[in-house]
Amino acid sequence: MIKLESVTKVYKGEVLALHQASCDIQKGEFVFLVGQSGSGKSTFLRLLNKEEEPDNGKIFVAGKDIARLRRWRVPQMRRQIGSIFQDFKLLPNKTVSQNVAFALEVIGRPRHVIKTQVPAILDLVGLQTKMNRFPHELSGGEQQRVSIARAFVNRPLILLADEPTGNLDPATSVGIMRLLERINEIGTTVVMATHDRGIVDTMRRRVIELNNGEIVRDQARGVYE
Amino acid sequence: MARETLRNLRRNLTLTLASILTVAVSLSLLGIALLLQRGVSNATDRWQDGVEFIVFLEPEITTNQLGLVQGEIERSAAIESYRYVDQEESYREFNEDFFPENPEITQLVTKEIIPPSYRIIPKQLSAEAIEIVASGFETKPGVKKVVRATDEIQKIEKATDVIRWIVLGAGAILLGTGLLLILNTIRMAIFARRREIEVMKLVGASNSFILVPFMLEGTFQGLVGAALGTASVYGANRAFEEWLASDNVLNILQSFAVGAGDVWAIGGLLLLVGALVGSVGSAIAAYRFLDA
Repeated sequence: MIKLESVTKVYKGEVLALHQASCDIQKGEFVFLVGQSGSGKSTFLRLLNKEEEPDNGKIFVAGKDIARLRRWRVPQMRRQIGSIFQDFKLLPNKTVSQNVAFALEVIGRPRHVIKTQVPAILDLVGLQTKMNRFPHELSGGEQQRVSIARAFVNRPLILLADEPTGNLDPATSVGIMRLLERINEIGTTVVMATHDRGIVDTMRRRVIELNNGEIVRDQARGVYE
Repeated sequence: MARETLRNLRRNLTLTLASILTVAVSLSLLGIALLLQRGVSNATDRWQDGVEFIVFLEPEITTNQLGLVQGEIERSAAIESYRYVDQEESYREFNEDFFPENPEITQLVTKEIIPPSYRIIPKQLSAEAIEIVASGFETKPGVKKVVRATDEIQKIEKATDVIRWIVLGAGAILLGTGLLLILNTIRMAIFARRREIEVMKLVGASNSFILVPFMLEGTFQGLVGAALGTASVYGANRAFEEWLASDNVLNILQSFAVGAGDVWAIGGLLLLVGALVGSVGSAIAAYRFLDA
């Protein structure tokens, strides 16, 4: 599903974010990316989304070399990838259901599809009673659920999560992780960058550890360190 | 998408107004320069294609006299070519080209009192050479008058040329300003919506879906500016026509009147330029600041 072949990314010609990184992630896997701040976790995720271009090496997503994608094809590729973030990136002037519907509207889904899909996905993330609230009226955990609903409403093959529990307390984080597990069980490949030792150690999934841009460990059913 | 565009326009009302007004003023200047050019070329229509002087004949010239003048022209080694314009054609030209919108003037003039003429292109175009050939015809029987292109016409053309270039230059500078203002308005609009744009890119909205509302917004500004510009050009022309009508009817400026067809053509051109400026300005802004 995701494959990196000795990928190197250097920012502004000096900051080495990723160095000769290679890995192969199968469909349906759940992978933790761990490592200190600045070790290259976010760059790893941004490269998969084609928000950044590698300076060297090849990246395959869903079997395609994404460097060879034409510019106008990139949006199509991104529709197969959902993304969630530490800061949620919700639109403050839209309600919960409008935030989720927005993701479908802007890729041109017909209205009747939106009408059925949005309540269904909000049901899945457990926010069916808060559809008409605005983001600032929700707790952090609820906001992250909205952002997961938005990322997943289009049923992507891959979900990229950049420290999704970074702003949440441990109890709330557990709920979010349950949700991500459920999404993973449906067959979605999940790649999650995290600092959360507790989560990694209890879930015992594949762990890829980055240090100064290099993959120093790739362990099935791994722990944080 | 139209809804988004309208909402953006409202959000940036002051900047939007500034862009629209700048485009309007610049395009009305451009329109006025074009009107002026059209007017001058109407007024000097007879002098096109190298015609340097015109031999006007008496309307009641005899066939005999006409033959003599024609023979003179044909024999002259100094004349490159000539064209005989009979009363019929002169009358039509008088009506259509000079006073298309003033039937009350043409009613005063009948075909019988309009002089036929020879339009003459001499071989040598120096002022002295033309003068020698032209003055030769002045004393011929049946010749009413010889009019040279040189003096008045050239003065008019020179004067209006200068005015036209000044107006055109000012219009061009303002048009550039309008383009920059539109570019800036769109940049502000993009900045105001940067979060939405980020999400749109993230979930895979197509580039055109992200770009089009901004392009529409810029094009809309350019078009509204152009519509205002066109309206003011139309108004200026109407005012000029009314002024002509109120003045005494034989005013030489009458021949500067521009037909309605030309005014509409200029209006169409202004709308086109406005739309172009708007879409180019917003496209530059979109490509520079959207990184789509």
